[in-house]
Amino acid sequence: MQIVSKGLTFTYNKKSDFKKTALSGVDVTINEGEFFGIVGETGSGKSTFIQHLNGLIRVQDGSLTVGEYNLNPTDKNGKKQLKKQLKELRYKVGMVFQYPEYQLFAETVFDDVAFGLKNFHPELSSSEVALKVQKALEVVGLDYDAVKNKSPFELSGGQKRRVALAGILVSEPEILVLDEPVAGLDPVGKKRLMSLLHTLHDTGVVKTIIIVSHDMDEISENVTRVALFRDGKAVKVCTPKELFSKNDDSADRLGLPVTAYVQKELEKIGVQIDTDYKSKDFIEKIIEKYKSLNK
Amino acid sequence: MLSDLTFGQYYQAESFVHRLDPRIKILLLIAYVVFVFVANSFYGLLALAVFLMLAIIFSKVPFGSMLGSIKGVLFIIILTVILNIFFYTGETQTVLFWVITKEALLFSAFMAIRLITLVMASVLLTYTTTPVALTDGIESLLSPLKIIKFPVHEIALVMSIALRFIPILMNEADRIIMAQKARGADFESGNLLKRTKAMIPVLIPLLISAFRRAEELGDAMDSRCYSSGEKRTKYKKLKLTYRDLVVTIVALIFFAGVILINVFGVAFL
Repeated sequence: MQIVSKGLTFTYNKKSDFKKTALSGVDVTINEGEFFGIVGETGSGKSTFIQHLNGLIRVQDGSLTVGEYNLNPTDKNGKKQLKKQLKELRYKVGMVFQYPEYQLFAETVFDDVAFGLKNFHPELSSSEVALKVQKALEVVGLDYDAVKNKSPFELSGGQKRRVALAGILVSEPEILVLDEPVAGLDPVGKKRLMSLLHTLHDTGVVKTIIIVSHDMDEISENVTRVALFRDGKAVKVCTPKELFSKNDDSADRLGLPVTAYVQKELEKIGVQIDTDYKSKDFIEKIIEKYKSLNK
Repeated sequence: MLSDLTFGQYYQAESFVHRLDPRIKILLLIAYVVFVFVANSFYGLLALAVFLMLAIIFSKVPFGSMLGSIKGVLFIIILTVILNIFFYTGETQTVLFWVITKEALLFSAFMAIRLITLVMASVLLTYTTTPVALTDGIESLLSPLKIIKFPVHEIALVMSIALRFIPILMNEADRIIMAQKARGADFESGNLLKRTKAMIPVLIPLLISAFRRAEELGDAMDSRCYSSGEKRTKYKKLKLTYRDLVVTIVALIFFAGVILINVFGVAFL
């Protein structure tokens, strides 16, 4: 499913004195199969934008289509249709909020993961539900038999987050949207979760992944393209390579990934390195350079 | 969604009313409420409404927000009006539908105005007084009770923490509702029982996070060696100024007016 947003505009509390414009004309296209990043300062509209993608926030102005779903129909018929499609849209576009482990509530891990599935597909038999829950828990790297009857509150922070993620994956979304997925995890947990997302993406479990992040290293390491949000607009949509390149200072206010920073410092002493800012590529290029200089 | 509630919010502004001593505002509100019930004629109520109008104008709170605050109690007002229209026994002939009398209509209007002024006056207090100032004021007003070992300070602290946490928990509830909606939870359809049941996935995480926050706050206070036993100093000392004197005098004039209207004016109607 392709996401096309044109001139998307949104104002909170539109009719009151406390109104606040969150989006003022967002133009972004996210293609099927991308690992897409969204960056921007706090209050730049990132969260508001992603909440539009599964219809949690209704479009006020502008156009937004997600696959075959038109989220801002103008005619009466389209509005009726959207109302019916909303449920479908919500399981096709899975949304993982910040600190998703704080939304766990059920008595057992099994019940919590099954919650979304039962809401979306009440027609499923209990054995079908069990099968899908097992698959989802295994996909996120948890031992089904060991955790299914545990209370979600007994688990560690990283495990809780995996359970929460399984609760979204269980309804087999085509697009997975994650708001700061690794925030608050320890370095090892961060790495594991990111590589889990890559596995999901590479094996086609989830076709498109969209992450919101403040960590530029996370962006440079993982995404295919990135949108930079500022004051309610997507001011730049490009590859991480373009965003962090030395000729472009639009991302500087957010900080740079380590690789871009080292590249800048090296340039000051006359060493040019052309990299896509992924650490693997960057290290290879540096070793190459070192060897050629030593000859 | 939940944050649409304007009732009890603080409205940031620099105004005459904002700068009044919270103790004066609380005492005047209590007196005002009493006089709204003392007034037994439209003229008395009119005097009090004028006083409220003046206060609203001087507070710089937009009139729209003041009206918005009534939304929450609109149901109660309408219910009162309807009940009074049908059940107030008037002496004169019926005007409408055989049962409704002229007195009933007038009395309903009277009750409605009474309720609206009550709500608006209370809301004006919270609009123009920060929760901190409000609890400081209450603490100061209740301090004589310390003599009988009443834990005034502790109660004020509990109140200010509770007030402080309302917007935080509302925000959190909003977020959890969104997250469960993303998992297909449906809060809008079904009968009352079904909708109540649908709130469980919101209430449990909310409760857990409230406990977590309480524990964290307790730890933070402990680590700053907070204790209420000793004599505590205040960052902002409450001080009466000329403003408070002016407002008190004006209020007393209006209240005296209400009594005069009650005694000499046409009693009711």
